[in-house]
Amino acid sequence: MDLSRIGYFVRRFSLDPSLIIVIVLLVVVVTAGFLLSDRFGTMRNFMNVLEQASGLGYASIGQALVVIVGGIDLSIGSVVTASTVLMAAVVNVHPALMIPMIFGTLFFGVVIGFVNGYVTIKTGVHPLIVTLGTASILNGTVLIYTLQPTGSVPYWFEEFSYGRIGNVPISGIVMLICFLLVWVFLRYFQAGRALYAVGGNPEAAHLSGIRSNRVILFAYSASGFFAALAGAYFVSRTGVGDPRVGDPITLASITPVILGGLILGGGKGNILGVCLGVILISLLSNLLNYMNVSTFIQWVIQGLIIIVAVSVYVHKGKKL
Amino acid sequence: MIKLERISKGFPGVKSLDDVDFEASAGEIHALLGENGAGKSTLIKTIAGVYIADNGVIYFDGKKCRWSSPKQAKDSGIHVIYQELMLFPELSIAENIFVGSAPLTRLGTINYRLMYERADEILNKLGHKLDPKSLIKDLSIADQQMVEIAKSLVGDVKLLVLDEPTAVISGRESEILFDRMKILRNEGICIIYISHRLEEIFSIADRVTVLKDGKFVGCHKVKELSHDLLVGMMVGRELSDIFPKKKFPSFEAAPVLTVRNLLALPKVKDVSFDLYAGEILGLAGLVGAGRSEVAHAVFGSTTRSDGAVTLGGVPLDVPSPRESIDQGLGFLTEDRKGEGLMMLLDASVNITAPMLSEFTTIIGLDRSREKQAAEDEIRRYRIAVPYPGFDVNKLSGGNQQKILFGRWTRACRRVLILDEPTRGVDVGAKVEIYEIIRKLADEGLGILVISSDLPEIVGLCTRVLVMREGQITGEVNGTDINEELIMKYATAAKKAPSVSVT
Amino acid sequence: MNAISSVGILRTNFQFCQVIIPLALFGLIAVATILKPSFLSLNNIQDILTQAAPLALVVLGQAFVILVRGLDLSVASLMASSAVLATAFNATSDAMIPVIFAATVLVSACVGLINGMLVTKRNVSPFLATLAMMIVLQGVRFYYTQGAPYGSLPEGFRFLGVGRIAGIPVNICAFCVCFCFLCWLLHKSSFGRMIYITGGNPTSAKLVGINADRVTIFCYVISSVMAGIAGLFLVGFVGTVDNWVGRGYEIDAIVACVLGGIMLTGGKGTLWGAATGALILILIFNVVIILGLPVQAQLIIKGIIIIVIAALFSRANEP
Repeated sequence: MDLSRIGYFVRRFSLDPSLIIVIVLLVVVVTAGFLLSDRFGTMRNFMNVLEQASGLGYASIGQALVVIVGGIDLSIGSVVTASTVLMAAVVNVHPALMIPMIFGTLFFGVVIGFVNGYVTIKTGVHPLIVTLGTASILNGTVLIYTLQPTGSVPYWFEEFSYGRIGNVPISGIVMLICFLLVWVFLRYFQAGRALYAVGGNPEAAHLSGIRSNRVILFAYSASGFFAALAGAYFVSRTGVGDPRVGDPITLASITPVILGGLILGGGKGNILGVCLGVILISLLSNLLNYMNVSTFIQWVIQGLIIIVAVSVYVHKGKKL
Repeated sequence: MIKLERISKGFPGVKSLDDVDFEASAGEIHALLGENGAGKSTLIKTIAGVYIADNGVIYFDGKKCRWSSPKQAKDSGIHVIYQELMLFPELSIAENIFVGSAPLTRLGTINYRLMYERADEILNKLGHKLDPKSLIKDLSIADQQMVEIAKSLVGDVKLLVLDEPTAVISGRESEILFDRMKILRNEGICIIYISHRLEEIFSIADRVTVLKDGKFVGCHKVKELSHDLLVGMMVGRELSDIFPKKKFPSFEAAPVLTVRNLLALPKVKDVSFDLYAGEILGLAGLVGAGRSEVAHAVFGSTTRSDGAVTLGGVPLDVPSPRESIDQGLGFLTEDRKGEGLMMLLDASVNITAPMLSEFTTIIGLDRSREKQAAEDEIRRYRIAVPYPGFDVNKLSGGNQQKILFGRWTRACRRVLILDEPTRGVDVGAKVEIYEIIRKLADEGLGILVISSDLPEIVGLCTRVLVMREGQITGEVNGTDINEELIMKYATAAKKAPSVSVT
Repeated sequence: MNAISSVGILRTNFQFCQVIIPLALFGLIAVATILKPSFLSLNNIQDILTQAAPLALVVLGQAFVILVRGLDLSVASLMASSAVLATAFNATSDAMIPVIFAATVLVSACVGLINGMLVTKRNVSPFLATLAMMIVLQGVRFYYTQGAPYGSLPEGFRFLGVGRIAGIPVNICAFCVCFCFLCWLLHKSSFGRMIYITGGNPTSAKLVGINADRVTIFCYVISSVMAGIAGLFLVGFVGTVDNWVGRGYEIDAIVACVLGGIMLTGGKGTLWGAATGALILILIFNVVIILGLPVQAQLIIKGIIIIVIAALFSRANEP
């Protein structure tokens, strides 16, 4: 394909340059994987990666929505943790409540997100501080309740993470559907466009008659919802409520968002870029595992990815 | 159409509107006139539902209204185009035009195809060719303004408010805008038009309401008014009382500042001029003509691509603010809050910021000498600040501006560049600032005044350079200085704009 | 003139916030004393101060960064890294302590330099730059130790954490020295003034001839160096090195700064405030223990306090 055609596609689908970078990186990682490891390039492995990526995926969707409206959510990890413990602990005592508790947990996430948004709007305190505060409160509460993994869920709930339809993991399908739905929402619905408007120019949004506060509340609530969904996924994987499971999720959820070209400060970016970012990171870590690169080096790589991604995408004046 | 009775609106420390009556009817273009700080913007925002009046009643379309949000006002058919454009840089033109009211498909999703088509239609109506898919951030200011105007043509607009729309667009675009406004008026829409430029008001408005210091001065048919009468109403005194008497400098000595072939892309293309000691030189032009960029390039706060600047005979070859300040060049920037003051810090810190080294001793800053210096400036400019340690964000615009005068006149010995020195300052402070400028020039400083306020340029300067699209297109001297000539150079060169001075 | 008459209200409002912090401090001390009369004994006070010193050192550095509109999330990771670095010398003689200190300061300064360069030259948001640095340091540290630190520290290190000079704990002495120096730097020197100007308005700082980038980078260096030194003192206090020395200190440091009235929007706040903030935080932890609450309740209280105080300050400073 000649270059002018690529240029045409870029314009036709209004592709963001950052999206192209992620796609190129994906190609690089996959190619490298085929060359460097014979276990990497199998359908089985790809399906496993998809299955393992979904926890991060759910969390990243929420983070992305908050970042688009110009905020940040540092409470995602704690919501994940609190959801797993809540679900596992309640179901452990009343196994019959499993299905109501799935919805209950998701509702719990929405409530926490709503509180984050509400406090941010009403006090004018930077979301960084507000969500840090709620994270601390949630963590404290969970740790008072238990220091060890606790509770249990019925065996069948495992299907949510390990289950397969044909060869494809259910969790991966759910994740991709979530991304798709959010993408459609953000692109084809007025309410979705309002997220970009509020993030891009809050004053103009207010004066254009957009109810900014509702939009912000919605974004944070959605973030809480997806964090709780990630929590449900982890319960399904491990069968217990782990008071430490969410710790790395908060920061991990930011990396794909940055990779996807969403800028901190808001108003810009494509959620599909975030999806690709999640897949890229999962594939990369999968490949590094096959190459016997230690987790510790993987941390270093993660940090470098953030730095490189942020420095490459020019951020004009907008800082968090 | 709209009627405001005894509207008052106060902010902490200021009474922005005081018992103002205002009335405009359908099918007229009603000009709203007043100095900076007269309360025009507050009145507009009250109409738009951004502010809620403390007192008074608003009747719209015959009904008593009390909007508590911009959305309610918008839904009733009021559209406001603000001075700062209210656009979303990362969204497309079409999306900006249809923000909150996009055409939908049967499924309730946004119908992008229809939206682009209709955006195209609207832009065509405005006589403006733009691709509705391009992003706002890629457009020029004039194009962005057109998008802003296009926004108003969506939906059922009954009252359209334009807040100084011609400040950023060229003569041709103004003409298109005025044509469009007349068509809208003939369709029965009520248009409230705010502008500084009296010529525009005489050429387009039916009636004019004048505000001064937050109070209603009068409402008249434009036909019954003369230029001088209108100025008198607006300012409340004769022009000769506002501006100090001009004094012509001596051009015999070498110029104190020379600029040769200054190039700072994209906004500044080949600018050369001289400034003499004791001279007040004006730099006029439309917003976006590159005037501030010239100042930044001379001062060294942006990089120059090419050109030579000398100050007092010394070349400024390695431009940086530090170097310029040390050589005696000061630059009072346009954006007082964004680029001028440290709003959360106190008056004395703000005054002494450029020359900290003057107060530095081995054991640190000499606070008492610094305070003394600040007090000197406060006394010299009669700044209404209780003590030097007082935070500047609690001062009025005029006093904040005087703090900046204190800062820069202390720091600079040769040349002072003033970018919009009286923006957002009330009339009283304006007069004081003009006196300060005159006095500084008399003391031998070369002063370059950049201003969009043409009466200010005309009243203050002894020589005026006019810029257009990054180049100097004309120079006006002495008694030739008038608004018409300046505008002629500032806009499309071939013919003077269709506005006329009565 | 109108503007000034209304100022009175705003001013009292702001002073209210300035008063509430010392009040909170005395309130906490009073509560603690009532609950446990021995709280005000000299020994206990010394214990608490000794406990507070490493955090307070980090807080001082963090304050510089926040003053220039930044944020340093890498401090805790750097504390642990400097602790691990200290063991890398595998020194047995106390004579090595100055060498260890010098190496720590050097490495920390480099970390701060990188943070500052990313923020100023590459325009990376401080949050992300220091976050990435935190992860990178963590990775390098774990890779070096392979999960569990080995190597030993000279005996003298314990002295740093728990020893006394003329009856005063060593780390309090160290804190006082740092505090005095940094106070002079920030509040008395012209460089400190440049920090306030840069934080108050970076654009106008450049326009008044201040090299705002350099000032900002220097603040990140100060923060990192303070964190590095704090790491060594914390190791001396705890007595053992592990990969998570100082975990959570980045959050605590930010909380303390916010408590101490340093505004996240930059340019406002004092080191006295920051130090008070650190002390309040440690007192809260102590009161939680005296009350017999589980240690984790600290997290809850911390979360509530940070939101409430931040809300108070943000309201008070609205124009």
